Amino acid sequence: MSHTKILLVDDEVEFVSALAERLELRNYEVKTASNALEALGLIHGYLPDVIVLDLRIPGMDGIETLKTIKKYDPAIEVIMLTGHGDSQSVEEGMKSGAFEYIMKPVDIGELTSKIDKAKRKREKG
Amino acid sequence: MSANIEPKDSIKQKVIGLLHNLFHPHDYFHVLGADRYTSLKIRIILLDAILSLVPLIIVITISYFWFQKILKDDFSHQLRWEIENTKQSIEFFLDERLSGLRFLSSAYTYEQLSDQKTLAGIFSKFKREVGGLVDIGVIDSNGIQRSYVGPYPLEGKSYANQDWFNEIIVRSSYVSDVFMGYRKIPHFAIAVKRDIPEKGTFWILRATIDMETLKKYPSRINLRKNDDAFIVNREGILQTPSRFQGNILEKFQQCTLPQEEIAVTEVREPADRQSMCGYAYINNSPWILVAVIKSTPYGKIPKIFRNELFILSVISIFIGIAVTVVMTQTVVNRIHKSDQEREEAIAKTEHASKLASVGRLAAGVAHEINNPLAIINEKAGLMKDILETSDDLQKNKEKFLVLINGIFESVNRCRTITHRLLGFSRRMDISHDTIDVNDAIKEVVEFLEKEMLYRNIRLEMNLQPGLPKVETDKGQLQQVFLNIINNAIDAVEEGGLIAISSGVRDEKMVRVSIRDDGSGIPREKLKYIFEPFYTTKEKGKGTGLGLSISFGIMQRLGGTILVESEISKGTTFFVEIPMKAGAV
Repeated sequence: MSHTKILLVDDEVEFVSALAERLELRNYEVKTASNALEALGLIHGYLPDVIVLDLRIPGMDGIETLKTIKKYDPAIEVIMLTGHGDSQSVEEGMKSGAFEYIMKPVDIGELTSKIDKAKRKREKG
Repeated sequence: MSANIEPKDSIKQKVIGLLHNLFHPHDYFHVLGADRYTSLKIRIILLDAILSLVPLIIVITISYFWFQKILKDDFSHQLRWEIENTKQSIEFFLDERLSGLRFLSSAYTYEQLSDQKTLAGIFSKFKREVGGLVDIGVIDSNGIQRSYVGPYPLEGKSYANQDWFNEIIVRSSYVSDVFMGYRKIPHFAIAVKRDIPEKGTFWILRATIDMETLKKYPSRINLRKNDDAFIVNREGILQTPSRFQGNILEKFQQCTLPQEEIAVTEVREPADRQSMCGYAYINNSPWILVAVIKSTPYGKIPKIFRNELFILSVISIFIGIAVTVVMTQTVVNRIHKSDQEREEAIAKTEHASKLASVGRLAAGVAHEINNPLAIINEKAGLMKDILETSDDLQKNKEKFLVLINGIFESVNRCRTITHRLLGFSRRMDISHDTIDVNDAIKEVVEFLEKEMLYRNIRLEMNLQPGLPKVETDKGQLQQVFLNIINNAIDAVEEGGLIAISSGVRDEKMVRVSIRDDGSGIPREKLKYIFEPFYTTKEKGKGTGLGLSISFGIMQRLGGTILVESEISKGTTFFVEIPMKAGAV
């Protein structure tokens, strides 16, 4: 299995940097963005396999960002990051083509297994 | 002077107030207070009774007066008819006697009648046929009585200078006024003139008639206790005795004589007593028959009719009131019941809404706390990862310190949130604190800042520095701000604007305005927005209670909420808070 390229999108810089480091320790290639525009800007050059996207980010709304990503490249898999009480947004996200969702605070094992599944799906698809 | 005007004004105001209350139930309740259903009942019953009874009373009154008028007209017709009859009888009486004289004057010659004996013979027979004659005489063209039959020695008496003699020269017959004459007994004379063409002269046959027969005629009119009927001449001198107007030959002064031949007129006397006067001119005589009717039998509606009218009115009024009372009872009970149901429903929904807002608060807090928790989770996780992959603690010391500091920062964030939450809940009890409205607004905004940030909503705060402190319930006031700002957040588009400003309205009030640039509220919906259960939000998103609860809170705090809205420009809510609790 080749290197999995991940893009982490969340406005909590402290959270995103620590999580990125943990994923790198697990041999993933990780880039981070703190808002939707930054994320969309990175996609072009970086071409991530999986995007871990917080649904509540400043600027563009999470669901809108998800739709834009899927429009740009349907093969990129998106895992949504949510807090509690966002079931409606999660449902909408799944309908809009998200691969999976995961609740904050994140269990690292659960996240990596979902990332791997997404990567496998991307390679098969 | 002003002391004189004030009571008048207050009476006027009371009357206006009473009328106003009668037609504006809400104010009425306000005035009468707690037992508003009884007030409502009384009000409906009163209004209904007025509505149904007034026409009934009008109809009864009109029919009463109408009936009275018919009776009066009938009475007046009856009187006229009686007067006419009597007039005809008198005319017939006079005519009969004049005809008799006329017959005698043509059946006998002047010479025959000038003979005392012949005249006496004729008179005794004539008197038998025609009653009331006292005497008879023949007068020549010089006015000298040539022959006379009667109780007085009047033969040879000259009438040349008397008015009636001059008058009969131009007329063929004559009826005199009543006079006393030699006998000092009232009587009147009738005379016919007979011309002797071949001699170019004339003679007169004259008879006097006593009053007994004439007196009887006026009393044929149906007279009651206060009524009077008599004959007067054209100068108003009584010709027959009268009950109330005086004796024969006195002047009758009461009524002015009419132009018509027969008339019945109404006379209103100074003492406001009504009376009727009937007149009839008696043809070929100087007389007028007069009836003065002071009794008013027409004023008394027959007892049967009055009783029926009374019983009918009482029955209809009773039925009307009974129906009104029963209907009102039913309607008001219905209203009472539905009000109770509504109040129960409101209470239920209010409870549900409280639960919902607790839920919302919990979700919001969970969300707020989730982020620092996630950071702690990742930092601790990373430290664990590092420990698992490398044994060299010294090498990673710096890194660990940074991560631990990050964890402490996140814990601090959580602490701030829990403190804010505790502060909020502590203020849920009703209390009167002296607070800075600006601080209260800032605290509420802190809760909602994140939400606005995510939705790209611009927040403009224009709080007046040094705003006077107000004495109020901070928690309740903050609930009002929370509700209104929440609504504003829901109302604006992504990237919209919410502007909050504070200031002093006057020496008693502080005013906070919360403006959004949303789509605005249409004028027809504006009046409902403070009503419970009214919501413009999507189904399931709003309970429709936020503004009504806020309105209730502001009323309790002695303030108010006002709203201005313009379609596609936005809505502004003004929250006005009294500086002293209960000052307004």
